[in-house]
Amino acid sequence: MKRAFIFVAILLTLMAPLASSESGQALIENANSFDGKTVTFRGEAIGVMIRGDYAWVNILDGDYAIGVWCRAENAKKVSIIGDYGHVGDTVEMTGTFHLACTEHGGDLDIHADNFTIVAQGRDVDRSADMRVVALSVALLAVAIIVVFYSWRIRNEKQKIMPWPSY
Amino acid sequence: MERRRSGLRAFLKKNFDFITGILSEVGLTAVIMVVAFIICVMLVLIKSMI
Amino acid sequence: MIPALTREDFKVIGFNLCRIGNILGFLLLVPIIVAVIYREFDIVPHFIIASSITFILCNVGIHFLKTDKKMEVKHALCLAAVAWIFCMMLAAIPLWSTRTTGSYLDANFETMSGFTTTGLSLAQGLDHLPYSINFYRHFLQFVGGIGIIVVSLMILSKSEMSSVLAFKGEAREMGIRPNIVRSSRIILGIALTFMVIGAVLFSVVAIGEGANIGTSIFDGVNYSMAAFSTGGFAPHSQNILFYHSTLYEIVALVIFLIGSFNFTFHYAVLSGKRREIFKNIEIKTMFIVLMLSTLVISGLLLYFNVYPSASILFRKAFFQAASAQTTTGFGTVYPAQIAGIWPSAVLFMMSIIMVIGACANSTGGGIKAIRIGIIVKSFFREVKKALSPGSAVVTEKFHHIEDTPLTDTIARGAMLIALGYIILFVVGTTATVLCGYNASSSMYETGSAVGNVGLSSGITSPAMPVPLKITYIFLMWAGRLEIMAVLVLMGFVILALRKGVRRR
Repeated sequence: MKRAFIFVAILLTLMAPLASSESGQALIENANSFDGKTVTFRGEAIGVMIRGDYAWVNILDGDYAIGVWCRAENAKKVSIIGDYGHVGDTVEMTGTFHLACTEHGGDLDIHADNFTIVAQGRDVDRSADMRVVALSVALLAVAIIVVFYSWRIRNEKQKIMPWPSY
Repeated sequence: MERRRSGLRAFLKKNFDFITGILSEVGLTAVIMVVAFIICVMLVLIKSMI
Repeated sequence: MIPALTREDFKVIGFNLCRIGNILGFLLLVPIIVAVIYREFDIVPHFIIASSITFILCNVGIHFLKTDKKMEVKHALCLAAVAWIFCMMLAAIPLWSTRTTGSYLDANFETMSGFTTTGLSLAQGLDHLPYSINFYRHFLQFVGGIGIIVVSLMILSKSEMSSVLAFKGEAREMGIRPNIVRSSRIILGIALTFMVIGAVLFSVVAIGEGANIGTSIFDGVNYSMAAFSTGGFAPHSQNILFYHSTLYEIVALVIFLIGSFNFTFHYAVLSGKRREIFKNIEIKTMFIVLMLSTLVISGLLLYFNVYPSASILFRKAFFQAASAQTTTGFGTVYPAQIAGIWPSAVLFMMSIIMVIGACANSTGGGIKAIRIGIIVKSFFREVKKALSPGSAVVTEKFHHIEDTPLTDTIARGAMLIALGYIILFVVGTTATVLCGYNASSSMYETGSAVGNVGLSSGITSPAMPVPLKITYIFLMWAGRLEIMAVLVLMGFVILALRKGVRRR
């Protein structure tokens, strides 16, 4: 009986991270109903700003990003920030959601109690499309010819007739 | 050092109007913000008294 | 009687359009510098393609459209209207080819929003955009902001209705082109000065708030371009909220408030006429409208318990009101919160101040503070006339760089343009409601498009109906050009269809 109880407790603890997290869209569009409540939020780190013992980590979920206020040592765990060349670390946190945080000037934010890096970020391969490169070279060549030709004609006509000026 | 100081002084003198103009415009925006903040403070005070 | 159009009329417009296009061709190469710095070599060909197409079209156009005919006011007004559309379509190429937007129409929406310094955005994945593309979006706003000052001072002011916009302090009437070249340099100089000051301030504050140096400088330059041009584009999906910093927002306030001032006001103050700050009708009008709107909006938000303290009201209510009135569009509140949590009365108030707009001859949009001031003074004049004896001569004047008598022509011009904006607002709101959106959000979004603001209640998105996207492109375009240039262009087209086009 005791072993069964311990087994279930361990299983529940392991399953906790899999508990459903709220999406950024749900949090922002239903901010009133989440205000002051504990929420779980997961997304990609797209910005980190260390401010003394604490830090802001901006987390992006789909098209919605929310600022998370957490301890600086947690924020320092974020190794890759999401941008054009990188997918940022996936972060999951649990904390108190604020519709208009009085501590942070009325911002919509989450004060994190737990903060975990769920998955490491990675580089994104952004190699050039050779068809686009070929097209750009071809068009550039045509443009240079047209501009040069146009400039030459203008210069020759300038000798015969001045350029209109008004 | 002396040459650098006199160079800066000449630049400031020549562009006095331009520099003070920029400072004046920034000052104007500061006044706007201060008045707006005072309005916010007054509103909160009025609400707390009601 | 209006004479029939000739081929030369179209050639004058086309020829100068192609010359403007050549400038655009060079501007399309500028983001390549950013692409090289950030090693985005996959993006470079897209800008080369756009620039090459522009140069090819424009140089062929210059060759075939060259004419000796002198540019008149009617040509200049049409040119101003057509140039925005022409540049919009060419500048959209890199955004479409890099899949920054879902379709070519969305890319046109984005570039029109950029050039008109509106700030409504259909770009997807803002936080993962290439740095060069992100820079390009903000650069479009900076170029558009300078462009509209030049157009407003040099072209729009030539019509009798908007003569109050004419550049004061320059006694010579040298024709259009020489004035454009000389004045553009002055405008560019002043704009670059404030842009650099803004970039430095933003970067320093961001570094102080814990952001890394590279991000701080990149964001600083972009936010400064968007702030001074009262554009409102941001390099992050959270807009200015990305930094969670009151100081950052104060820097933004300083720069975009300055960007919303009249260029002739800048010229006067920077030339030593500092008393203009206290006497100028536009500064006084803007100040009064902004303080009244702050009072009403803060009062309503406090009454409905949305925000409880003065500092929060300053950051949210005042910032949003200032962002709306200067037609900037930076947001410290998520659009979904504005639509879902802010009271409808606040949205209505914001819609009004968005349409009222910033100062004339600035990067801002809307009816313009000078016209509001003139309309209010006109009412005072009429009341004075009614209360005075029949034989009395009642005059009114206003101060804009110099004391100017308030004539019937000036009053009529101001009221006509204001009426034009109101008509655009009603048409836009109706179109939005017909697409299924609620009334208060529709008014807010339409006010934002017509006033070239950029604040959104969530309606502007890639999922917007196509007819609404086209409507908003039209609203941004017409609003930017104060309607007149668009109407003259329509008149041109109707005249050509009715009377045909003569050879000479």
